[in-house]
Amino acid sequence: MAGRLAAAPGVLFVMFLLVVLFAVLRPVFLSLPNLIDIGLQSAILLIIAIPQTMIILSEGIDISSGAVLSLCGVVLAMVLVAGGPVHLAFLAALATAVGFGAFNGALICLVGMPAFVVTLGSLGMAEGIAEILTDGNVVVGLPNGFEAFYSAKPLGVPVPILIAALVYLVAHVILYHTRFGTYVFAIGGNREALMLSGVPARWYHIGIYALGGGFIAIASLLLTARMNSGHPTVAIGMEFDAIAAVALGGTSFERGQGWLLGTLLGVLAIGILRNGLDLLMVPSSLQGVSVGILVIVTMLIDRRGARVS
Amino acid sequence: MEPAETTAGQAARGANAGPTSPLLELAGISKRFPGVRALEGVSLEIRAGEVHIVVGENGAGKSTLMKILYGAHHADEGTIRFQDRPVTIASPADARRLGIAVIFQEFSLVPFLSAAENIFLGREFRGPIPGTVDRRRAIREARTLLRSLGFDLDPTIPVHRLGVAEQQLVEIAKALSQKARILVMDEPTAALSERECAHLFRIVRRLRDEGVAIVYITHRLMEVMVLGDRITVLRDGRKVAELTPKETTPDDLVRLMVGRPVKAAFERRARFQPGEVALEIRNLRAPSGLEDINLTVHAREIVGLAGLVGAGRTELARAIFGADPISAGEVRVFGRPAEETPSECVRQGIALIPEKRKEEGLALIRSVQDNLLMSALWRLFPRGWLRPRTAEAAARDMVDRLRVATPSLARPVRVLSGGTQQKVVVGKWLSAGCRLFLFDEPTRGIDVGAKAEIFRLIEDLAERGAAVLLISSEFSEIVQVADRTYVMYDGRITGHLTAAELSEEALLRLAVSHE
Repeated sequence: MAGRLAAAPGVLFVMFLLVVLFAVLRPVFLSLPNLIDIGLQSAILLIIAIPQTMIILSEGIDISSGAVLSLCGVVLAMVLVAGGPVHLAFLAALATAVGFGAFNGALICLVGMPAFVVTLGSLGMAEGIAEILTDGNVVVGLPNGFEAFYSAKPLGVPVPILIAALVYLVAHVILYHTRFGTYVFAIGGNREALMLSGVPARWYHIGIYALGGGFIAIASLLLTARMNSGHPTVAIGMEFDAIAAVALGGTSFERGQGWLLGTLLGVLAIGILRNGLDLLMVPSSLQGVSVGILVIVTMLIDRRGARVS
Repeated sequence: MEPAETTAGQAARGANAGPTSPLLELAGISKRFPGVRALEGVSLEIRAGEVHIVVGENGAGKSTLMKILYGAHHADEGTIRFQDRPVTIASPADARRLGIAVIFQEFSLVPFLSAAENIFLGREFRGPIPGTVDRRRAIREARTLLRSLGFDLDPTIPVHRLGVAEQQLVEIAKALSQKARILVMDEPTAALSERECAHLFRIVRRLRDEGVAIVYITHRLMEVMVLGDRITVLRDGRKVAELTPKETTPDDLVRLMVGRPVKAAFERRARFQPGEVALEIRNLRAPSGLEDINLTVHAREIVGLAGLVGAGRTELARAIFGADPISAGEVRVFGRPAEETPSECVRQGIALIPEKRKEEGLALIRSVQDNLLMSALWRLFPRGWLRPRTAEAAARDMVDRLRVATPSLARPVRVLSGGTQQKVVVGKWLSAGCRLFLFDEPTRGIDVGAKAEIFRLIEDLAERGAAVLLISSEFSEIVQVADRTYVMYDGRITGHLTAAELSEEALLRLAVSHE
């Protein structure tokens, strides 16, 4: 049993400590409405942390996802404000996000540029395009039903949590029960080996980034509904939390080592931390610092086993 | 889906394949790279039920030939015929369609996927829903396959947790699962111990008897003689001979590979009296698995450290060098207790020349001079300011002393030959003032010609007063170079042989003593 505990991921320890800490300091922390709040706050982050996990598993990184998410939100909102139906608006956002994903993937996999540099470029472009489209203003005047969609509670479960859970399930099936998922691990572990096995590895590699766009489009739907507007810079910086969640979950940045459940735990840990700090009235600038500390502490806990073996 | 195993039953058995037509025939294959002529008019006939060995020095064109076989390179000239029909092999997928499977020297496994997933990578069993995979079936089939190879390995274990030999097995299982009719093996024993090699040979022979055509690339002459039905010798991109083991001797093969006569054994130098005690180890124990190690090395002496891969030799070298902790016992260097970290050990005069010289011993893109002085900067410039002229003079001195074959000090070491790179590594430690050299497999991946050069370098070091501990898995090498030898097995020293007692047979006996 002690052995099992020693092998447990560090993120479980820190989650446990945070829950105890906040529950003691602010008993309201453990109330059902607050727990649902944590779920609501974590839903969008989970949806963009999932493709980030796949990308990091393939030894890449996507620092553009926050900016692309903002842009998708703007596109979505503009189509709706112009009177377009929801499915058309979603398709426009989907095309935007998948376009950026495929663009990133092509430069990384076909041209061989480093993922960090490529997605840094995309970050700038997405941010710039969002500014140009909106003149720096918030897109308002969305149809009424849209916000209602966000706050609906079929069977008592808020829609965002429902969607996030569904997306997680789909991602789990993709990663662990499909050929594509096997190749995600293989690309990070040894892309050469995959190619030598007769698999068109580079197309799958691009596919990882393109698929990531699909997830971002879904996230933009929730984000726009939550804000009831399209905001050109709202999600910038969210890629930081997404990457932090993946790292917290114990996914390595090398060799295709990692797991999706870890990312879910990482997202929840960040959600718990931010929620608890909100309850304690800690200003948001300090929250960023805390997330950084959380990542590093968890990494240190996770390393304890690595040194022995 | 895959070609059926039609040849298995009909194929001629054993070594005398008889006048069947070749399964795969390469004719007049040429391949050029910018500035290099990798292959020039090479022909190769691959027959079912035959082990065709391709030998040659590094750079002879073995790897290029293999890459053409599986479609990673395309020949500039020449034809490939499969069962008398002309074919093109444009990609690994084409090669696979023809039933060609390759076992690579550098393992082509994905570390965090399971053995089963690796074996069926690219050929996953389809699950009930399109796009999904049937993992249970993969595990079941992988287990059957591994058992048929005589191994009870759990196919759900991620391969990064497996040992080298087990990984090799996964590679073989992967190739076999493709129902390969032609199996290409690139130096498959490079990382295996003698016992594992013996097992591999059994598997190779069995596959051959089942009618598989095997192309076996190696530079170990013993394997050529024991395993080969037909031998092709490559030199400088050309085929210089095709023969059978009965028609040739190891000496002849070396002559064919090198193209010039080489001395059968490297002449032993006239011995000096050993000097002071350079390294003394008493009752050493370490968490890395070392137990009760006692060992002495004198100045001017070359002491061998033989054993199979995994016997603990590298671990011992790392413990001496302070790279790994020790839990009990004593290490004394030049009469004083050894320091505990590598940087202190270097200052004490210990040098470790690691097996992976490119990764651990050299900064490949940096110049000869930078590499030579890397460990000596603290000695040459104790105040931290560099003086270019002093640096250049020190590097020049070392190049002359070791006869490093480089046109200039500014040449990046990446472009130098393996033997010359090894000299730069040694020069790096010499200029740091080291007097005790721990060599870990110094000739791995180095061709025959450069080996002699490295032996000379080691002997030269000893003659100039250095103490040398030489780790090697190639027993012939130790017999040639060492003054006396310790043999390790399973973390312990199981034997000691003086120069008079030293022979390959004696080494082998001690190295497997506890079987």
